[in-house]
Amino acid sequence: MDETHSQLWQKLSAALKPQVSPDTFKRWFSAVKLVQATDEAFTFRVPNNIYQFWIESNHMAALQAAIVTAFGSPRDVKFTTADGTVTNEEEELPEISPKEFVRESAREGKQSGSTPGLNPRNNFESFVVGPNNEIAHAASLAVAKTPARTYNPLFIYGGVGLGKTHLMQAIGQYVGMNKKGAKVMYLSSEVFINEFIDAIQHNNLVKFRKRYRQADLLLIDDIQFLGGKERSQEEFFHTFNTLFDGHKQIVLSSDRPPSEIANLEHRLVSRFEWGLTAELQPPDVETRMAILRKKAHTLQIKLRDEIFDFLATRIRTNVRRLEGALMRVASFASLSAGKELTNEVVEHLLKDILQEEARHSVTIEQIQRRVAEHFDVRLADMTSKRRPANIAFPRQIAMYLARELTKASLNEIGDAFGGRDHGTVLHACKLVKRRMQEQDNIRQTISFIDSALQR
Amino acid sequence: MKFSATKEKLLEGLQQVQNVVSTRTTLPILSNVLLQAKGSEVHLTTTDLDVGVRGAFEASVEKEGATTLPARRLFTIIRELPSSEVSIEVDGKNAASIRSGQSFFKILGLPEEEFPPLPKFENAKNVTIPQKALRDGLRKTSYAISTDETRYVLNGLLFSFKENKLTLVATDGRRLAMVDIELEFPKSHEADIIVPTKAVTELGRLLTEDGEVKVSVGSGQIAFELNNTLLVSKLIEGNYPNYKQVIPTETKERVTLERETFLNSLRRVSLLASDKSNSIKLNFSKNNIDITANTPEVGEAKESLPVAYKGRDFSIAFNPEFFMAPLRALTEDEVFLDLIDEMSPGVLKIQTPFLYVLMPMRISS
Repeated sequence: MDETHSQLWQKLSAALKPQVSPDTFKRWFSAVKLVQATDEAFTFRVPNNIYQFWIESNHMAALQAAIVTAFGSPRDVKFTTADGTVTNEEEELPEISPKEFVRESAREGKQSGSTPGLNPRNNFESFVVGPNNEIAHAASLAVAKTPARTYNPLFIYGGVGLGKTHLMQAIGQYVGMNKKGAKVMYLSSEVFINEFIDAIQHNNLVKFRKRYRQADLLLIDDIQFLGGKERSQEEFFHTFNTLFDGHKQIVLSSDRPPSEIANLEHRLVSRFEWGLTAELQPPDVETRMAILRKKAHTLQIKLRDEIFDFLATRIRTNVRRLEGALMRVASFASLSAGKELTNEVVEHLLKDILQEEARHSVTIEQIQRRVAEHFDVRLADMTSKRRPANIAFPRQIAMYLARELTKASLNEIGDAFGGRDHGTVLHACKLVKRRMQEQDNIRQTISFIDSALQR
Repeated sequence: MKFSATKEKLLEGLQQVQNVVSTRTTLPILSNVLLQAKGSEVHLTTTDLDVGVRGAFEASVEKEGATTLPARRLFTIIRELPSSEVSIEVDGKNAASIRSGQSFFKILGLPEEEFPPLPKFENAKNVTIPQKALRDGLRKTSYAISTDETRYVLNGLLFSFKENKLTLVATDGRRLAMVDIELEFPKSHEADIIVPTKAVTELGRLLTEDGEVKVSVGSGQIAFELNNTLLVSKLIEGNYPNYKQVIPTETKERVTLERETFLNSLRRVSLLASDKSNSIKLNFSKNNIDITANTPEVGEAKESLPVAYKGRDFSIAFNPEFFMAPLRALTEDEVFLDLIDEMSPGVLKIQTPFLYVLMPMRISS
């Protein structure tokens, strides 16, 4: 083995000699030994670190040129000093030599399992699995058990309060706990951007890069905030590649799929979609029940089943809100001991939350029915082609409300009103808005229907 | 605690210590200055846990005591005060009332007990150095300290106490500056220590022309005592690279340069050195140097300097900034530039023990 290395070194020296002055060669390269050679990298042993510093600073170009001349393609150049520490040329690749690894883990050992920013409550045990989040949960668990083997990167997306952060932190904690010495980094993309800006400002990009590119598991929350930040994207792109090439796990979360993040470079989008993209959907009623019971159990809250039922059926969109409602009910119960918690009391207590919930669950059909009822016209008139004023105006109000209260597009609203054009809907909205400003009684009528719909 | 002092004395005292206070700190107490009124003096202490400074100013102390106050805020307030007499009174809750003329300020501090004490020096090795010599030494070397944080042993100045000589060395891998100071000390005090950049900067600020500085080296830390001020710093752990390896043993050509003339020429020509290659070329011929720089698509500059040179004709390129830094720091009229060939380092020397090794840049022909 040594034989081949010294032959390689002779070949390399021959190519190097014309590149540097004889004095330089004698001074810096005569004491250098090639100790490891692969197709990707050469490791040279130097007597002490001044050789490494000086060669890196001054003779790297010559050395690389000589490598290309001698072997036809460039290699990474690494140095090892007599005391055995290996450092790479320029950018630190995340590959860590065994010795460094031990040192790293000895240092991290104290705080393993408690990566900053991880909430110990967010673990896999406390995550309630339902059909809405099965895939994301299974993927996260697989990633946590065998990082960088299964799905890399793992991209989790879903609406607010559906458990993205919970899953990511669970992965972080699982890895931190079960892989001693693994360097886990959890942060939101905002922190990444801010630190990047800071690094530019204080001119210590090298430190910044080193910090992130040494992670064994990088968890970045709310990656969508990277949209539109061009230089941060570029920096992240390189971090991503370095980690990925070094077989380190990357987990990302966002509130929408990668392709829908605005102003995100294509190369990043395609990389995000590389591994597994898992969606988190709002939980169904059974899952919501399970979440409530689990939460109540951990917080040692005792409530009647009807209350759980009530909360689970009425709060549909968001787990965080569900838990908030539970907390509110529980604290009310403990503060007003003895007073019975009826559904009415709970309804009153959660008025604002329920109203907010209802906002999302109003359908166009409900609006049409309600408006028709109020103006005493037939429901069929809502969709018919007839347009005397006593029918057309209620229809326009209904369109306006549909626009305000549902997420339906202009086209969808138009279709629901008997196949009308989106322009018609737009016109209706403008008209109603104007008349609301002009006439008090119309505004009152509409706000009455609005609140009736949201009850 | 209660004392009064002149605005000038107070400002001077604060100026000595306030640079150490870091602007971005995780511990709020570190942005404060510790004030201790005792006898006829008020002591001021600041620290960022790596570097700490303690100074003092004269004051008429009415009531002895101690507190800590936000350093920057205190400094800006004192600077703006209208009258030259300032009195500061601190109540039991560390709220300081500052009175001067018609002005009144009240700023809130933190208790003295929270302030981290400066390290104690036991069994320290003491060496005394003339301030002027050390100041010159720092000025001639500190600009070459590396800022690359991955090479942390280079982020400081080497103080090498050996064979009745203090050698100061700074390098960033492309250049190296070195100064020797003759000094008497026992053999047992020989040591190589690395003082971090921040402490070097602070020390440079505190040193004056006259007097001496007492240096105490403890385990992992160093203290400098001068002009009634104490500077304490942690040392950089690790071994400084064997810098002697860098210094060329024999050189071929020597040229004597007028420092200021040469520096001015370099500065002018470097205006047209491109950001990318950032190099200027020195073309040596008999009794003449042509300094040239060019940036494609921008233009070029050339300046000729008559010099005493009898060697062979050749060209060598340097980073102008790296070349100008020592020329600015030196005060001598004449400097010597020793060269070997276009690919070997150049060495800048003066009559006194100083040496600057500078790597050439590759000339793309």
